[in-house]
Amino acid sequence: MNVLEVQSVTKRFSALLAVDRLSFSIQEGRVFGLLGPNGAGKTTTIRMIMHIIIPDEGKVSVLEKTDPVETTNLIGYLPEERGLYRKMKVGDILFFLCSLKGLSRSDARPRIDSWLERLDLLDWKNKKLEELSKGMQQKLLFIGTVIHDPKLLILDEPFMGLDPVNTQIIKDILLEQKKRGTSIIFSTHLMDNAEKLCDDILLINHGRDVLSGKLSEVKNRFGRKNIIMEFDGDDAFLQKIPGIIRVNHYGRASEIVMDKSADPQQILKAAAKNVAVRKFEIKEPSLNDIFIETMKSRKDKTA
Amino acid sequence: MNKKMTAVIRREYITRAKTKGFIIGTLLFPLIVGLILGGVFIFMVLFKPSTKTYALVDQSGVIGQTFQNMLDDTLSNGEPKHRMILTEMRIPLDSLLANLQNQVRDKKLDGYLVIPPDILETREVIYSARNVSDFEEQGDFSGVLSYIVGNLRLENQGLPADRIRQEMSRSRVRLISRQITDKGEIEKNAASSFILAYILTYMMLLLMMGYGQTLMRSVVEEKTQRITETIIASIRPRDLLLGKMIGISALGLTQLFVVGVIMMLLVQFIQPVLVNLGLQSPGLMAVIKQIHFTVPLFGFMIVFFLLGYFFFSGLFAGIGAMVNTEDEGQQYQMPIIFLILIGYFMMFAIARHPETPMAFWTSLIPVFTPMVMFARIAVSDPVLPSGTWISLGVMVLANFLLIRIITKVYRVGILMYGKKPSFREALKWIRYK
Repeated sequence: MNVLEVQSVTKRFSALLAVDRLSFSIQEGRVFGLLGPNGAGKTTTIRMIMHIIIPDEGKVSVLEKTDPVETTNLIGYLPEERGLYRKMKVGDILFFLCSLKGLSRSDARPRIDSWLERLDLLDWKNKKLEELSKGMQQKLLFIGTVIHDPKLLILDEPFMGLDPVNTQIIKDILLEQKKRGTSIIFSTHLMDNAEKLCDDILLINHGRDVLSGKLSEVKNRFGRKNIIMEFDGDDAFLQKIPGIIRVNHYGRASEIVMDKSADPQQILKAAAKNVAVRKFEIKEPSLNDIFIETMKSRKDKTA
Repeated sequence: MNKKMTAVIRREYITRAKTKGFIIGTLLFPLIVGLILGGVFIFMVLFKPSTKTYALVDQSGVIGQTFQNMLDDTLSNGEPKHRMILTEMRIPLDSLLANLQNQVRDKKLDGYLVIPPDILETREVIYSARNVSDFEEQGDFSGVLSYIVGNLRLENQGLPADRIRQEMSRSRVRLISRQITDKGEIEKNAASSFILAYILTYMMLLLMMGYGQTLMRSVVEEKTQRITETIIASIRPRDLLLGKMIGISALGLTQLFVVGVIMMLLVQFIQPVLVNLGLQSPGLMAVIKQIHFTVPLFGFMIVFFLLGYFFFSGLFAGIGAMVNTEDEGQQYQMPIIFLILIGYFMMFAIARHPETPMAFWTSLIPVFTPMVMFARIAVSDPVLPSGTWISLGVMVLANFLLIRIITKVYRVGILMYGKKPSFREALKWIRYK
């Protein structure tokens, strides 16, 4: 069963077409990267999933339910621009967020304590939010997102404002949630993080699906692989090998740009015969490359 | 009312009710109202106007002496209320008046009266004074002068003087005001009912405006701190708004209850306390006896406070959702505050004449209803003024419609940042799906 099913949703704001017949689905326990440049329609899409705004056309269902009353408690949402009541105490804030998710008092109390302990905030339980550092506030917001054990987590730039240590703690929690079967929508500009975490991606621009699928497939489909080779000698032999588009020379190293037909193993064998190889690396295209290339080719087409 | 809305109500109420500001405010509020109330009592009882001195220029030569003798009212300290100096006409009238005017300007005199030679025909006396706002005094003067002139005219027609005097002295009438109610008649004067209406309406004004603005600040805070973004996924905007409105209204209700109960106890038990302290004075006791702060009146106060609060706080919340900073909100709220104040000032006139068509129709205009209608009820209590139930119905309907519109504006506005919308744009939000 798909945890989330988005079917051909469209949203217009006056003259602006924010989301245009967008469809996708997310399976249980998968991390789904919702990517796109600023203003692509990511936030509008997320808000429609949350029933904060209602699509003009199309349908959104969470665990096959469409009634917002039933779905909101199944979702945990961490918006990009986020904040909480500055004058409230940490424990009270979490209790309030729990009650908004329908948890009873007796259910909420132990969860609050165990999460605060886990993220090293238990000593701050009776402090006001404004006394906490930025990083601690981010952690608190994260607790608020996961405390009710949602089936679907929607995280918009979750690592913003976190140091490397806390980033790692949050990543560990996300992986643990994933193992429990929670699906995660991960919206970000930072392709590095997305690349490491996502199983599936959806790249949107102008509210439309530009590129989507399993990350590995997307990379495959993108086709190109490059080889970075460091060596001593003359690399002229490369010109005879089929499938090589071009070679960028950097003195003692070369970057070999290939098409799909090229066989890296054949290149390695040829290289071993002709030069002294010090390093030979097959480089997959990074998500960042794919993002930039895709956006560029789209722009060329529209231009 | 669902569980999530209850969570919002609880948060809005508890986080504020626990603050020192609220606790002190709740304790100070009755004190302030008590001080106003006490101040009015003290003013009414202890205020001692001083003797006023007038020059009396009697051109007729037949009235002056009698007039002087008849003005025998005294102040509460035993001093005469007026001192009339009969001025002889040794110099021409023009220079005499110029002289008197100078004396008034130099504050040696409070004013002067000029009785014309043919007073019995013209029946006009000129009253010139530095301050002509004392209606009571002018009424006294005019009454006494009419009496004397009446006497003289009858005398001129041949009736014996002593007989006239006898009859006339038996003709002076004093008005005792009583109010007809279902339970019989109660003694009550205009001043004490008006003061009560004035104080209660003022309390309503403070609470409605204060908590309306609290709601607006709270909406703006959630917006600017991006709290809305964080919680709007968990609760519908309508439930969030209603929860906030109800939670904050409960703060106002708390204070209203504290003040109401204290006032009722005060009216009930202050007489023996004052007697024990040796502070009783007949004037003060009479005033206290005439303050009828009854349970039904208190009930109406709560109902109209709630209806007024929800109406105005709806408007305040709409503005909060449209603006980006508290400062912007301060500017935009001015029209609402004006509306509230207009209602409050109209209340002064309408409380004096609660059964005029003007009073009736004004109480059916939702922005004025809470204060105008409540003030009418307060001055007429225990009789219900005309249109009470209609105005309640109108107000409930107005609230229902307004909150429907405001929730739509709110829903869109709380997630909009940047340029604040024009009124026209905000109207468009109402039509969004």
